[in-house]
Amino acid sequence: MIILLRHNGNMDQSAVASVQPAQVQEPDLADDTSADRPWIVIVWNDPINLMSYVTFVFQKLFGYSLEKATELMLDVHNKGRAVVSSGTREHAEFDVYRLHEHGLWATMEHESL
Amino acid sequence: MKNDFPIARTKNGKFKINLHDDHREVLQELIEQFRETLTSAASAKSAASATGVDHETNLRRLFPTAYHNDAKADAEYQRLMRDELLASRLASAEVASTVIASKNEISAEEMDAFTRSVNSLRLVLGTTLDIAESDYGAGAKEARKKHEADDTGETEIQRELYEYLGWLLEWCVMAQSESN
Repeated sequence: MIILLRHNGNMDQSAVASVQPAQVQEPDLADDTSADRPWIVIVWNDPINLMSYVTFVFQKLFGYSLEKATELMLDVHNKGRAVVSSGTREHAEFDVYRLHEHGLWATMEHESL
Repeated sequence: MKNDFPIARTKNGKFKINLHDDHREVLQELIEQFRETLTSAASAKSAASATGVDHETNLRRLFPTAYHNDAKADAEYQRLMRDELLASRLASAEVASTVIASKNEISAEEMDAFTRSVNSLRLVLGTTLDIAESDYGAGAKEARKKHEADDTGETEIQRELYEYLGWLLEWCVMAQSESN
């Protein structure tokens, strides 16, 4: 039996931390107008997903044209991230889930003021 | 010629996978190991939360953070969605296993599940191999030399499979991107 998916001993906790988006300390937003601001869904760069696959997923999930999907994919690749959708919290969570289902590294946050 | 493609869209909008039996055998084994890994990771989850030991390191790209700047919201998201994501991955792997075993045409839905499973396998192997940006572009030659020097027999096989899955995934994307 070929052992293909065995846990690699070199992958320590620091390696895990290295692929997590930076934790950002945010002020308490409970009293401000954050509830009115839309949520944005961000796809982050990672060295494993193929560029063609990322473009394909953007087209498939969001109905983007090849040009738009390619532009977003290149933003992910060159700038490290791209905002791929926005809306209510529920809508953003739905999109994040679908992107995770397709193996893309997506997170969500309130749109900046 | 199109019928010779590893993965081709047929005239009726379905797909045909034209892989050699040896390739099917390896893919079947990979999918089986993937399912076992996912299942054992799920059962180790409660132990991990109790001991703080991460048993799922090479699966981390399959279960990413959803709220990158809100740990509390992320914990709640993971509590609600993680099992659903796990079930979705297992269901796709089951379809992929059927697809690999069959030489008949497959539906668009089956093709989609197969593609996602190929990508999942690639994510796990890539994470295990610690694939980095330096493995591509200008640094690729240097990285390859280092890998050749450092790789053991097992990692050599993993790296070959990682490359193979990349090739297969490109064909999956091409076939699905074709218009009818």
